[in-house]
Amino acid sequence: MKTMLAFIKKEWMEQVRSGQLIILGIIFVLLGIMNPAIAKLTPWLVEIMAETLAQSGVIVGTVTVNALDSWQQFFKNAPLGLIAFIIIQSRIFTKEHQSGTLVLVVTRGMDRTKILVAKATSLVALWSVGYWLSFTITYGYNGYFWDNDIAHNLLFSVVCWWLFGLLMVSLVVLFSTMAKSNTGVIAGVGFSALVLYMISFYPKLSPYTPTLLTAGNALVRGLKKIREYQNSVATTFALIVLCFTLCIPIFNKKQL
Amino acid sequence: MELLNITNLHKRFGNKEVLKGLNLTVPQNSIFGFIGKNGAGKTTTMKTILGLIKPEEGAVKVDGKKVIYGKTKTNRHIGYLPDVPAFYSFMTAKEYLAFCGEIAGMDKAQIKTRSEELLSLVGLENERHRIKGFSRGMKQRLGIAQALLGHPKLLICDEPTSALDPVGRKEILDILKSIQIETTVLFSTHILSDVERICTDVAFLDNGRISMQGKLADLKSSYRREEYLLELDNEEDKQTLLRVFPEIKKNKEGALTFYESEHSLFDVLKFITAKKVALLKVQRMEPSLESLFMEVVEK
Ligand SMILES: Nc1ncnc2c1ncn2[C@@H]1O[C@H](COP(=O)(O)OP(=O)(O)OP(=O)(O)O)[C@@H](O)[C@H]1O
Ligand SMILES: [Mg+2]
Repeated sequence: MKTMLAFIKKEWMEQVRSGQLIILGIIFVLLGIMNPAIAKLTPWLVEIMAETLAQSGVIVGTVTVNALDSWQQFFKNAPLGLIAFIIIQSRIFTKEHQSGTLVLVVTRGMDRTKILVAKATSLVALWSVGYWLSFTITYGYNGYFWDNDIAHNLLFSVVCWWLFGLLMVSLVVLFSTMAKSNTGVIAGVGFSALVLYMISFYPKLSPYTPTLLTAGNALVRGLKKIREYQNSVATTFALIVLCFTLCIPIFNKKQL
Repeated sequence: MELLNITNLHKRFGNKEVLKGLNLTVPQNSIFGFIGKNGAGKTTTMKTILGLIKPEEGAVKVDGKKVIYGKTKTNRHIGYLPDVPAFYSFMTAKEYLAFCGEIAGMDKAQIKTRSEELLSLVGLENERHRIKGFSRGMKQRLGIAQALLGHPKLLICDEPTSALDPVGRKEILDILKSIQIETTVLFSTHILSDVERICTDVAFLDNGRISMQGKLADLKSSYRREEYLLELDNEEDKQTLLRVFPEIKKNKEGALTFYESEHSLFDVLKFITAKKVALLKVQRMEPSLESLFMEVVEK
Protein backbone atom coordinates (compact mmCIF):
# COMPACT_ATOMS: atom_id res chain seq x y z
CA MET A 1 0.00 0.00 0.00
CA LYS A 2 2.81 2.39 0.91
CA THR A 3 4.59 1.68 -2.34
CA MET A 4 1.38 2.28 -4.26
CA LEU A 5 0.87 5.63 -2.58
CA ALA A 6 4.43 6.56 -3.48
CA PHE A 7 3.68 5.75 -7.10
CA ILE A 8 0.43 7.73 -7.04
CA LYS A 9 2.39 10.66 -5.59
CA LYS A 10 4.76 10.40 -8.53
CA GLU A 11 1.82 10.38 -10.99
CA TRP A 12 0.42 13.47 -9.31
CA MET A 13 3.77 15.25 -9.51
CA GLU A 14 3.96 14.36 -13.21
CA GLN A 15 0.44 15.66 -13.91
CA VAL A 16 1.26 18.93 -12.16
CA ARG A 17 4.73 19.51 -13.61
CA SER A 18 3.85 18.53 -17.15
CA GLY A 19 0.98 21.04 -17.08
CA GLN A 20 -1.62 18.35 -17.83
CA LEU A 21 -3.49 19.00 -14.61
CA ILE A 22 -3.92 22.69 -15.27
CA ILE A 23 -5.05 22.06 -18.86
CA LEU A 24 -7.65 19.55 -17.70
CA GLY A 25 -8.74 21.94 -14.98
CA ILE A 26 -9.26 24.74 -17.47
CA ILE A 27 -11.19 22.50 -19.86
CA PHE A 28 -13.60 21.19 -17.22
CA VAL A 29 -14.15 24.62 -15.66
CA LEU A 30 -14.80 26.17 -19.09
CA LEU A 31 -17.27 23.42 -19.96
CA GLY A 32 -19.01 23.95 -16.64
CA ILE A 33 -19.42 27.66 -17.35
CA MET A 34 -20.29 27.20 -21.00
CA ASN A 35 -23.44 25.12 -20.39
CA PRO A 36 -25.47 27.79 -18.54
CA ALA A 37 -23.86 30.54 -20.63
CA ILE A 38 -25.09 29.10 -23.91
CA ALA A 39 -28.56 28.60 -22.46
CA LYS A 40 -28.58 32.12 -21.12
CA LEU A 41 -27.49 33.59 -24.45
CA THR A 42 -29.96 31.64 -26.56
CA PRO A 43 -32.88 34.13 -26.33
CA TRP A 44 -30.55 36.95 -27.21
CA LEU A 45 -29.14 35.05 -30.19
CA VAL A 46 -32.63 34.18 -31.34
CA GLU A 47 -33.61 37.85 -31.11
CA ILE A 48 -30.75 38.88 -33.38
CA MET A 49 -31.63 36.17 -35.84
CA ALA A 50 -35.31 37.03 -35.65
CA GLU A 51 -34.63 40.45 -37.15
CA THR A 52 -33.01 38.99 -40.22
CA LEU A 53 -35.60 36.28 -40.44
CA ALA A 54 -38.42 38.80 -40.15
CA GLN A 55 -37.12 40.52 -43.26
CA SER A 56 -37.59 37.29 -45.17
CA GLY A 57 -41.07 36.94 -43.73
CA VAL A 58 -40.54 34.37 -41.00
CA ILE A 59 -41.95 35.33 -37.63
CA VAL A 60 -40.16 33.98 -34.58
CA GLY A 61 -41.79 34.20 -31.19
CA THR A 62 -39.89 35.04 -28.01
CA VAL A 63 -37.92 32.19 -26.50
CA THR A 64 -37.73 31.48 -22.81
CA VAL A 65 -35.05 29.24 -21.34
CA ASN A 66 -34.77 27.41 -18.05
CA ALA A 67 -32.45 25.02 -16.23
CA LEU A 68 -33.43 22.17 -18.54
CA ASP A 69 -31.82 23.95 -21.50
CA SER A 70 -28.63 24.31 -19.54
CA TRP A 71 -28.69 20.61 -18.61
CA GLN A 72 -29.25 19.78 -22.25
CA GLN A 73 -26.06 21.68 -23.00
CA PHE A 74 -24.34 19.75 -20.20
CA PHE A 75 -25.06 16.39 -21.82
CA LYS A 76 -24.18 17.77 -25.23
CA ASN A 77 -20.81 19.10 -24.09
CA ALA A 78 -19.80 16.27 -21.76
CA PRO A 79 -18.35 14.25 -24.68
CA LEU A 80 -15.99 17.15 -25.43
CA GLY A 81 -14.58 16.94 -21.92
CA LEU A 82 -14.28 13.17 -22.12
CA ILE A 83 -12.52 13.23 -25.49
CA ALA A 84 -10.09 15.91 -24.31
CA PHE A 85 -9.45 13.87 -21.17
CA ILE A 86 -8.75 10.69 -23.16
CA ILE A 87 -6.40 12.43 -25.59
CA ILE A 88 -4.46 14.18 -22.83
CA GLN A 89 -4.16 11.03 -20.71
CA SER A 90 -3.52 8.59 -23.56
CA ARG A 91 0.21 8.83 -22.88
CA ILE A 92 0.03 7.90 -19.21
CA PHE A 93 1.40 4.40 -19.89
CA THR A 94 2.87 4.65 -23.37
CA LYS A 95 5.18 7.50 -22.40
CA GLU A 96 6.76 5.19 -19.83
CA HIS A 97 6.91 2.27 -22.26
CA GLN A 98 8.64 4.39 -24.88
CA SER A 99 11.16 5.96 -22.53
CA GLY A 100 11.74 2.83 -20.45
CA THR A 101 11.21 4.57 -17.12
CA LEU A 102 9.29 1.62 -15.70
CA VAL A 103 12.33 -0.65 -16.02
CA LEU A 104 13.95 0.82 -12.93
CA VAL A 105 10.64 0.65 -11.08
CA VAL A 106 10.05 -3.07 -11.60
CA THR A 107 13.71 -3.95 -11.16
CA ARG A 108 13.40 -2.35 -7.70
CA GLY A 109 10.91 -5.05 -6.88
CA MET A 110 7.67 -3.08 -7.26
CA ASP A 111 4.83 -5.36 -8.24
CA ARG A 112 3.53 -4.71 -11.75
CA THR A 113 -0.07 -5.03 -10.58
CA LYS A 114 0.52 -2.21 -8.11
CA ILE A 115 1.81 0.02 -10.89
CA LEU A 116 -1.33 -0.71 -12.85
CA VAL A 117 -3.64 -0.06 -9.91
CA ALA A 118 -1.82 3.17 -9.06
CA LYS A 119 -2.15 4.49 -12.60
CA ALA A 120 -5.77 3.37 -12.95
CA THR A 121 -6.63 5.00 -9.61
CA SER A 122 -5.01 8.26 -10.72
CA LEU A 123 -7.00 8.23 -13.96
CA VAL A 124 -10.29 7.47 -12.24
CA ALA A 125 -9.64 10.21 -9.69
CA LEU A 126 -8.74 12.76 -12.37
CA TRP A 127 -11.80 11.95 -14.46
CA SER A 128 -14.10 12.07 -11.45
CA VAL A 129 -12.75 15.33 -10.08
CA GLY A 130 -12.85 16.98 -13.51
CA TYR A 131 -16.34 15.76 -14.34
CA TRP A 132 -17.86 16.66 -10.98
CA LEU A 133 -16.16 20.02 -11.03
CA SER A 134 -17.84 20.71 -14.33
CA PHE A 135 -21.16 19.50 -12.92
CA THR A 136 -20.90 21.59 -9.76
CA ILE A 137 -20.25 24.77 -11.73
CA THR A 138 -23.20 24.17 -14.04
CA TYR A 139 -25.40 23.28 -11.08
CA GLY A 140 -24.41 26.45 -9.27
CA TYR A 141 -25.14 28.76 -12.20
CA ASN A 142 -28.39 26.95 -12.99
CA GLY A 143 -29.57 27.46 -9.42
CA TYR A 144 -28.58 31.10 -9.60
CA PHE A 145 -30.26 31.88 -12.92
CA TRP A 146 -33.19 29.49 -12.82
CA ASP A 147 -34.32 26.56 -10.73
CA ASN A 148 -32.72 23.10 -10.72
CA ASP A 149 -35.77 21.51 -9.16
CA ILE A 150 -37.60 21.24 -12.46
CA ALA A 151 -35.04 18.67 -13.66
CA HIS A 152 -36.16 15.05 -13.13
CA ASN A 153 -33.69 12.40 -11.90
CA LEU A 154 -30.87 14.91 -12.08
CA LEU A 155 -28.40 13.05 -9.86
CA PHE A 156 -29.08 9.70 -11.52
CA SER A 157 -28.65 11.10 -15.00
CA VAL A 158 -25.29 12.73 -14.27
CA VAL A 159 -24.04 9.65 -12.40
CA CYS A 160 -24.91 7.64 -15.52
CA TRP A 161 -22.81 9.91 -17.69
CA TRP A 162 -19.94 9.73 -15.20
CA LEU A 163 -20.18 5.93 -15.30
CA PHE A 164 -19.99 5.97 -19.09
CA GLY A 165 -16.82 8.08 -18.76
CA LEU A 166 -15.48 5.53 -16.30
CA LEU A 167 -15.95 2.81 -18.89
CA MET A 168 -13.92 4.86 -21.36
CA VAL A 169 -11.22 5.35 -18.71
CA SER A 170 -11.06 1.59 -18.14
CA LEU A 171 -10.68 1.17 -21.90
CA VAL A 172 -7.82 3.68 -21.86
CA VAL A 173 -6.08 1.54 -19.22
CA LEU A 174 -6.75 -1.68 -21.13
CA PHE A 175 -5.45 -0.38 -24.46
CA SER A 176 -2.51 1.28 -22.72
CA THR A 177 -1.26 -2.12 -21.61
CA MET A 178 -1.43 -3.36 -25.20
CA ALA A 179 -0.49 -0.45 -27.47
CA LYS A 180 3.02 0.77 -28.12
CA SER A 181 2.08 4.42 -28.66
CA ASN A 182 -0.69 6.76 -27.59
CA THR A 183 -2.20 6.75 -31.08
CA GLY A 184 -2.84 3.05 -30.53
CA VAL A 185 -4.61 3.85 -27.28
CA ILE A 186 -6.78 6.56 -28.85
CA ALA A 187 -7.60 4.33 -31.81
CA GLY A 188 -8.49 1.42 -29.54
CA VAL A 189 -10.79 3.47 -27.32
CA GLY A 190 -12.34 5.22 -30.32
CA PHE A 191 -12.98 1.96 -32.09
CA SER A 192 -14.56 0.43 -28.99
CA ALA A 193 -16.86 3.43 -28.60
CA LEU A 194 -17.83 3.11 -32.25
CA VAL A 195 -18.66 -0.56 -31.82
CA LEU A 196 -20.82 0.27 -28.78
CA TYR A 197 -22.72 2.87 -30.81
CA MET A 198 -23.24 0.43 -33.68
CA ILE A 199 -24.65 -2.12 -31.28
CA SER A 200 -27.00 0.45 -29.79
CA PHE A 201 -28.65 0.88 -33.21
CA TYR A 202 -30.28 -2.53 -32.78
CA PRO A 203 -33.52 -1.72 -30.95
CA LYS A 204 -33.38 -5.05 -29.11
CA LEU A 205 -29.88 -4.46 -27.79
CA SER A 206 -30.02 -0.75 -27.20
CA PRO A 207 -31.40 -0.96 -23.60
CA TYR A 208 -28.31 -3.00 -22.72
CA THR A 209 -25.61 -0.88 -24.34
CA PRO A 210 -23.52 1.56 -22.27
CA THR A 211 -24.15 4.34 -24.79
CA LEU A 212 -27.69 4.64 -23.40
CA LEU A 213 -26.11 6.18 -20.29
CA THR A 214 -25.20 9.25 -22.30
CA ALA A 215 -28.87 9.96 -23.01
CA GLY A 216 -29.25 12.02 -19.84
CA ASN A 217 -31.36 14.67 -21.52
CA ALA A 218 -34.34 12.33 -21.83
CA LEU A 219 -34.04 11.57 -18.11
CA VAL A 220 -33.99 15.14 -16.85
CA ARG A 221 -36.93 16.02 -19.07
CA GLY A 222 -38.82 13.11 -17.60
CA LEU A 223 -39.20 11.39 -20.99
CA LYS A 224 -37.55 8.23 -19.67
CA LYS A 225 -37.65 6.38 -16.40
CA ILE A 226 -34.68 5.29 -14.27
CA ARG A 227 -35.88 1.71 -14.66
CA GLU A 228 -35.13 1.81 -18.38
CA TYR A 229 -31.44 2.42 -17.64
CA GLN A 230 -30.93 -0.46 -15.24
CA ASN A 231 -29.70 -2.98 -17.79
CA SER A 232 -27.36 -0.50 -19.34
CA VAL A 233 -25.85 0.31 -15.94
CA ALA A 234 -25.35 -3.39 -15.32
CA THR A 235 -23.55 -4.05 -18.62
CA THR A 236 -21.41 -0.97 -18.15
CA PHE A 237 -20.37 -2.16 -14.70
CA ALA A 238 -19.58 -5.60 -16.06
CA LEU A 239 -17.50 -4.14 -18.89
CA ILE A 240 -15.55 -1.91 -16.51
CA VAL A 241 -14.74 -4.86 -14.28
CA LEU A 242 -13.80 -6.90 -17.36
CA CYS A 243 -11.40 -4.21 -18.64
CA PHE A 244 -9.71 -3.76 -15.29
CA THR A 245 -9.36 -7.52 -14.84
CA LEU A 246 -8.13 -8.21 -18.34
CA CYS A 247 -5.36 -5.64 -18.22
CA ILE A 248 -3.60 -7.26 -15.24
CA PRO A 249 -2.35 -10.44 -16.98
CA ILE A 250 -1.60 -8.46 -20.15
CA PHE A 251 0.51 -5.95 -18.25
CA ASN A 252 2.30 -8.71 -16.31
CA LYS A 253 3.38 -10.32 -19.57
CA LYS A 254 4.36 -7.08 -21.27
CA GLN A 255 7.99 -6.62 -22.25
CA LEU A 256 9.14 -3.36 -20.68
CA MET B 1 28.68 -19.19 -1.76
CA GLU B 2 27.32 -18.29 -5.13
CA LEU B 3 24.92 -15.40 -5.37
CA LEU B 4 23.90 -15.84 -8.96
CA ASN B 5 23.55 -19.03 -10.88
CA ILE B 6 22.52 -19.32 -14.52
CA THR B 7 22.10 -22.71 -16.15
CA ASN B 8 21.58 -23.57 -19.78
CA LEU B 9 20.05 -20.26 -20.81
CA HIS B 10 18.60 -20.08 -24.33
CA LYS B 11 17.15 -16.96 -25.92
CA ARG B 12 16.26 -16.17 -29.50
CA PHE B 13 14.89 -13.03 -31.11
CA GLY B 14 12.99 -14.09 -34.20
CA ASN B 15 15.25 -16.59 -35.88
CA LYS B 16 18.36 -15.14 -34.33
CA GLU B 17 19.72 -17.30 -31.53
CA VAL B 18 21.45 -14.94 -29.13
CA LEU B 19 22.06 -17.20 -26.12
CA LYS B 20 22.76 -20.85 -26.81
CA GLY B 21 23.03 -22.55 -23.45
CA LEU B 22 24.75 -20.03 -21.25
CA ASN B 23 26.06 -21.17 -17.87
CA LEU B 24 27.33 -18.62 -15.41
CA THR B 25 28.12 -18.63 -11.71
CA VAL B 26 28.89 -15.47 -9.79
CA PRO B 27 30.47 -16.03 -6.37
CA GLN B 28 29.59 -13.80 -3.44
CA ASN B 29 31.68 -10.67 -2.90
CA SER B 30 33.32 -10.85 -6.28
CA ILE B 31 33.64 -8.08 -8.81
CA PHE B 32 32.65 -9.97 -11.88
CA GLY B 33 33.60 -8.71 -15.32
CA PHE B 34 31.23 -9.89 -18.03
CA ILE B 35 33.04 -9.46 -21.30
CA GLY B 36 31.80 -9.81 -24.84
CA LYS B 37 31.72 -8.15 -28.21
CA ASN B 38 28.94 -5.77 -29.29
CA GLY B 39 25.80 -7.79 -29.79
CA ALA B 40 27.16 -10.81 -27.94
CA GLY B 41 24.14 -10.86 -25.62
CA LYS B 42 25.40 -9.22 -22.44
CA THR B 43 22.40 -6.93 -22.07
CA THR B 44 20.05 -9.80 -22.92
CA THR B 45 21.61 -11.95 -20.17
CA MET B 46 21.34 -9.18 -17.59
CA LYS B 47 17.72 -8.42 -18.45
CA THR B 48 16.92 -12.10 -18.05
CA ILE B 49 18.44 -12.05 -14.56
CA LEU B 50 16.06 -9.20 -13.72
CA GLY B 51 13.00 -10.96 -15.11
CA LEU B 52 12.64 -8.45 -17.94
CA ILE B 53 13.15 -11.01 -20.70
CA LYS B 54 11.61 -14.43 -20.95
CA PRO B 55 14.12 -17.09 -21.96
CA GLU B 56 13.04 -20.10 -24.03
CA GLU B 57 14.95 -22.46 -21.83
CA GLY B 58 17.15 -22.46 -18.77
CA ALA B 59 16.98 -21.18 -15.22
CA VAL B 60 18.33 -18.19 -13.35
CA LYS B 61 18.69 -18.27 -9.57
CA VAL B 62 19.45 -15.23 -7.47
CA ASP B 63 20.48 -16.02 -3.91
CA GLY B 64 18.95 -19.46 -4.35
CA LYS B 65 15.56 -18.19 -5.58
CA LYS B 66 14.34 -18.79 -9.11
CA VAL B 67 13.71 -15.77 -11.32
CA ILE B 68 10.26 -15.70 -12.96
CA TYR B 69 9.53 -13.47 -15.95
CA GLY B 70 7.26 -10.55 -15.11
CA LYS B 71 7.57 -11.16 -11.37
CA THR B 72 9.70 -8.92 -9.25
CA LYS B 73 10.40 -10.76 -5.97
CA THR B 74 13.97 -11.70 -6.78
CA ASN B 75 14.74 -8.09 -7.70
CA ARG B 76 14.49 -6.89 -4.10
CA HIS B 77 18.15 -7.60 -3.46
CA ILE B 78 19.44 -6.46 -6.81
CA GLY B 79 20.58 -3.01 -7.79
CA TYR B 80 20.41 -2.46 -11.53
CA LEU B 81 22.02 0.13 -13.73
CA PRO B 82 20.81 -0.30 -17.35
CA ASP B 83 23.01 0.60 -20.31
CA VAL B 84 20.85 3.65 -21.01
CA PRO B 85 19.09 4.46 -17.73
CA ALA B 86 15.74 6.25 -18.05
CA PHE B 87 14.56 8.35 -15.12
CA TYR B 88 11.51 10.53 -14.53
CA SER B 89 12.90 13.68 -16.07
CA PHE B 90 10.48 15.98 -14.25
CA MET B 91 12.11 15.14 -10.91
CA THR B 92 15.36 16.29 -9.39
CA ALA B 93 18.03 13.73 -8.50
CA LYS B 94 17.05 13.94 -4.85
CA GLU B 95 13.34 13.54 -5.56
CA TYR B 96 14.06 10.55 -7.77
CA LEU B 97 16.07 8.79 -5.08
CA ALA B 98 13.28 9.52 -2.58
CA PHE B 99 10.76 7.98 -4.99
CA CYS B 100 13.00 4.92 -5.44
CA GLY B 101 13.31 4.50 -1.69
CA GLU B 102 9.57 4.87 -1.15
CA ILE B 103 8.56 2.25 -3.70
CA ALA B 104 11.13 -0.10 -2.20
CA GLY B 105 9.53 0.40 1.22
CA MET B 106 12.40 2.23 2.92
CA ASP B 107 11.48 4.62 5.70
CA LYS B 108 11.87 8.39 5.46
CA ALA B 109 14.90 8.86 7.69
CA GLN B 110 16.70 5.99 6.00
CA ILE B 111 16.01 7.43 2.56
CA LYS B 112 17.26 10.86 3.57
CA THR B 113 20.60 9.75 5.00
CA ARG B 114 21.23 7.14 2.32
CA SER B 115 20.47 9.44 -0.61
CA GLU B 116 22.61 12.26 0.77
CA GLU B 117 25.44 9.78 1.25
CA LEU B 118 25.08 8.42 -2.28
CA LEU B 119 24.64 11.77 -3.99
CA SER B 120 27.88 12.99 -2.52
CA LEU B 121 29.53 9.67 -3.41
CA VAL B 122 28.65 10.19 -7.08
CA GLY B 123 29.25 13.93 -6.98
CA LEU B 124 25.69 15.16 -7.51
CA GLU B 125 25.12 16.60 -4.03
CA ASN B 126 24.89 20.18 -5.27
CA GLU B 127 22.73 19.49 -8.31
CA ARG B 128 19.36 21.18 -7.91
CA HIS B 129 18.10 20.97 -11.49
CA ARG B 130 15.61 18.51 -12.85
CA ILE B 131 16.95 15.34 -14.50
CA LYS B 132 15.67 16.64 -17.85
CA GLY B 133 18.82 18.74 -18.19
CA PHE B 134 21.35 16.10 -17.12
CA SER B 135 24.24 15.03 -19.33
CA ARG B 136 24.84 11.34 -20.05
CA GLY B 137 27.61 11.21 -17.49
CA MET B 138 25.40 12.77 -14.83
CA LYS B 139 22.65 10.29 -15.60
CA GLN B 140 25.15 7.46 -15.26
CA ARG B 141 26.15 8.79 -11.85
CA LEU B 142 22.55 9.07 -10.75
CA GLY B 143 22.11 5.54 -12.10
CA ILE B 144 24.83 4.24 -9.80
CA ALA B 145 23.29 6.09 -6.85
CA GLN B 146 19.81 4.66 -7.42
CA ALA B 147 21.22 1.18 -7.91
CA LEU B 148 23.03 1.28 -4.56
CA LEU B 149 20.16 2.88 -2.64
CA GLY B 150 18.81 -0.24 -0.98
CA HIS B 151 22.20 -1.78 -0.06
CA PRO B 152 21.74 -4.51 -2.68
CA LYS B 153 23.43 -7.88 -2.35
CA LEU B 154 24.01 -7.91 -6.07
CA LEU B 155 24.73 -4.92 -8.26
CA ILE B 156 24.24 -5.40 -11.98
CA CYS B 157 25.75 -2.69 -14.17
CA ASP B 158 25.44 -2.71 -17.93
CA GLU B 159 28.52 -0.97 -19.32
CA PRO B 160 28.67 1.54 -16.48
CA THR B 161 31.72 3.37 -17.74
CA SER B 162 31.13 3.68 -21.46
CA ALA B 163 29.52 7.15 -21.28
CA LEU B 164 32.14 8.65 -18.99
CA ASP B 165 35.29 10.68 -19.40
CA PRO B 166 38.57 9.16 -18.08
CA VAL B 167 38.28 10.90 -14.71
CA GLY B 168 34.63 9.94 -14.31
CA ARG B 169 35.48 6.40 -15.32
CA LYS B 170 38.11 6.07 -12.66
CA GLU B 171 35.71 7.48 -10.06
CA ILE B 172 32.99 5.00 -10.96
CA LEU B 173 35.45 2.09 -10.93
CA ASP B 174 36.69 3.20 -7.53
CA ILE B 175 33.11 3.28 -6.28
CA LEU B 176 32.47 -0.24 -7.59
CA LYS B 177 35.63 -1.45 -5.91
CA SER B 178 34.80 0.26 -2.63
CA ILE B 179 31.42 -1.45 -2.23
CA GLN B 180 32.83 -4.94 -2.65
CA ILE B 181 32.61 -5.64 1.09
CA GLU B 182 28.83 -5.66 1.14
CA THR B 183 27.89 -6.05 -2.51
CA THR B 184 28.70 -8.44 -5.29
CA VAL B 185 29.15 -6.62 -8.57
CA LEU B 186 28.40 -8.02 -12.01
CA PHE B 187 29.29 -5.61 -14.75
CA SER B 188 29.44 -5.93 -18.47
CA THR B 189 31.96 -4.12 -20.54
CA HIS B 190 34.17 -4.26 -23.52
CA ILE B 191 36.78 -1.99 -21.98
CA LEU B 192 39.32 -4.58 -20.88
CA SER B 193 41.51 -2.17 -18.95
CA ASP B 194 38.55 -1.52 -16.63
CA VAL B 195 38.30 -5.23 -15.97
CA GLU B 196 41.99 -5.57 -15.22
CA ARG B 197 41.76 -2.63 -12.88
CA ILE B 198 39.09 -3.90 -10.52
CA CYS B 199 37.75 -7.38 -11.33
CA THR B 200 38.35 -10.47 -9.27
CA ASP B 201 36.51 -12.78 -11.67
CA VAL B 202 35.76 -12.69 -15.37
CA ALA B 203 33.66 -14.50 -17.93
CA PHE B 204 33.91 -14.20 -21.68
CA LEU B 205 30.67 -14.40 -23.62
CA ASP B 206 31.14 -15.52 -27.17
CA ASN B 207 28.74 -17.02 -29.67
CA GLY B 208 25.96 -17.41 -27.12
CA ARG B 209 27.99 -19.29 -24.55
CA ILE B 210 30.52 -18.57 -21.83
CA SER B 211 33.77 -19.65 -23.38
CA MET B 212 35.92 -19.02 -20.34
CA GLN B 213 35.22 -18.11 -16.74
CA GLY B 214 37.04 -17.97 -13.45
CA LYS B 215 39.28 -15.93 -11.17
CA LEU B 216 41.19 -13.39 -13.18
CA ALA B 217 44.50 -14.40 -11.63
CA ASP B 218 43.90 -18.13 -12.27
CA LEU B 219 42.93 -17.55 -15.88
CA LYS B 220 46.01 -15.50 -16.47
CA SER B 221 48.37 -18.01 -14.94
CA SER B 222 46.80 -20.95 -16.74
CA TYR B 223 47.25 -19.13 -19.99
CA ARG B 224 50.77 -18.11 -19.19
CA ARG B 225 52.95 -19.67 -21.80
CA GLU B 226 56.54 -18.69 -21.00
CA GLU B 227 56.85 -16.11 -23.71
CA TYR B 228 59.90 -13.86 -23.99
CA LEU B 229 60.66 -10.64 -25.75
CA LEU B 230 64.04 -9.42 -26.95
CA GLU B 231 64.91 -5.94 -28.03
CA LEU B 232 68.05 -5.47 -30.04
CA ASP B 233 69.72 -2.38 -31.31
CA ASN B 234 71.06 -3.66 -34.58
CA GLU B 235 68.93 -4.81 -37.52
CA GLU B 236 71.67 -7.18 -38.77
CA ASP B 237 71.77 -8.98 -35.42
CA LYS B 238 68.03 -9.46 -35.61
CA GLN B 239 68.33 -11.10 -39.01
CA THR B 240 71.07 -13.40 -37.69
CA LEU B 241 68.94 -14.49 -34.74
CA LEU B 242 65.91 -15.02 -36.98
CA ARG B 243 68.04 -17.26 -39.21
CA VAL B 244 69.57 -19.32 -36.38
CA PHE B 245 66.35 -19.69 -34.40
CA PRO B 246 63.61 -20.27 -36.96
CA GLU B 247 60.67 -20.05 -34.47
CA ILE B 248 61.53 -16.52 -33.31
CA LYS B 249 59.03 -13.95 -34.59
CA LYS B 250 59.40 -10.27 -35.20
CA ASN B 251 56.48 -8.19 -33.94
CA LYS B 252 55.12 -4.89 -35.20
CA GLU B 253 57.42 -2.82 -33.00
CA GLY B 254 60.47 -4.65 -34.37
CA ALA B 255 61.11 -6.64 -31.20
CA LEU B 256 61.69 -10.40 -31.28
CA THR B 257 59.41 -12.81 -29.44
CA PHE B 258 59.57 -16.54 -28.80
CA TYR B 259 58.18 -19.24 -26.53
CA GLU B 260 60.30 -21.27 -24.12
CA SER B 261 58.82 -24.43 -25.61
CA GLU B 262 60.27 -23.54 -29.00
CA HIS B 263 63.66 -22.22 -28.05
CA SER B 264 65.16 -22.31 -24.59
CA LEU B 265 65.90 -18.83 -23.24
CA PHE B 266 69.32 -19.99 -22.17
CA ASP B 267 70.22 -21.21 -25.64
CA VAL B 268 69.26 -17.85 -27.07
CA LEU B 269 71.15 -15.94 -24.42
CA LYS B 270 74.20 -18.21 -24.88
CA PHE B 271 74.18 -17.39 -28.57
CA ILE B 272 73.87 -13.69 -27.82
CA THR B 273 76.84 -13.69 -25.44
CA ALA B 274 78.94 -15.79 -27.82
CA LYS B 275 78.26 -13.42 -30.72
CA LYS B 276 78.52 -10.32 -28.49
CA VAL B 277 75.17 -9.04 -29.73
CA ALA B 278 74.18 -5.63 -28.32
CA LEU B 279 71.10 -6.37 -26.19
CA LEU B 280 68.67 -3.66 -25.08
CA LYS B 281 66.10 -5.65 -23.17
CA VAL B 282 64.97 -9.16 -22.26
CA GLN B 283 61.47 -9.50 -20.83
CA ARG B 284 59.10 -12.24 -19.82
CA MET B 285 55.65 -11.45 -21.24
CA GLU B 286 52.55 -11.37 -19.01
CA PRO B 287 49.47 -12.53 -20.83
CA SER B 288 47.10 -9.57 -21.14
CA LEU B 289 43.35 -9.83 -20.91
CA GLU B 290 43.27 -8.65 -24.47
CA SER B 291 45.33 -11.57 -25.71
CA LEU B 292 43.08 -13.91 -23.73
CA PHE B 293 40.00 -12.28 -25.22
CA MET B 294 41.38 -12.48 -28.73
CA GLU B 295 42.25 -16.11 -28.23
CA VAL B 296 38.74 -16.86 -26.97
CA VAL B 297 37.03 -14.97 -29.75
CA GLU B 298 39.14 -16.40 -32.52
CA LYS B 299 38.83 -20.02 -31.45
N1 LIG C 1 14.23 -6.84 -28.37
C1 LIG C 1 15.02 -7.38 -29.32
N2 LIG C 1 14.51 -7.75 -30.51
C2 LIG C 1 15.28 -8.29 -31.46
N3 LIG C 1 16.59 -8.51 -31.34
C3 LIG C 1 17.19 -8.16 -30.20
C4 LIG C 1 16.44 -7.57 -29.12
N4 LIG C 1 17.28 -7.33 -28.10
C5 LIG C 1 18.49 -7.74 -28.52
N5 LIG C 1 18.45 -8.24 -29.77
C6 LIG C 1 19.59 -8.81 -30.52
O1 LIG C 1 20.28 -9.67 -29.66
C7 LIG C 1 21.67 -9.55 -29.82
C8 LIG C 1 22.33 -9.32 -28.48
O2 LIG C 1 21.98 -8.06 -28.00
P1 LIG C 1 22.52 -7.49 -26.63
O3 LIG C 1 21.94 -6.14 -26.47
O4 LIG C 1 22.25 -8.46 -25.55
O5 LIG C 1 24.08 -7.38 -26.89
P2 LIG C 1 25.21 -6.75 -25.98
O6 LIG C 1 26.20 -7.82 -25.72
O7 LIG C 1 24.61 -6.08 -24.81
O8 LIG C 1 25.85 -5.67 -26.96
P3 LIG C 1 26.47 -4.23 -26.67
O9 LIG C 1 27.88 -4.44 -26.27
O10 LIG C 1 26.37 -3.53 -27.98
O11 LIG C 1 25.64 -3.58 -25.63
C9 LIG C 1 21.89 -8.41 -30.80
O12 LIG C 1 22.28 -8.96 -32.02
C10 LIG C 1 20.55 -7.75 -30.94
O13 LIG C 1 20.34 -7.37 -32.25
MG1 LIG D 1 24.45 -4.08 -24.19
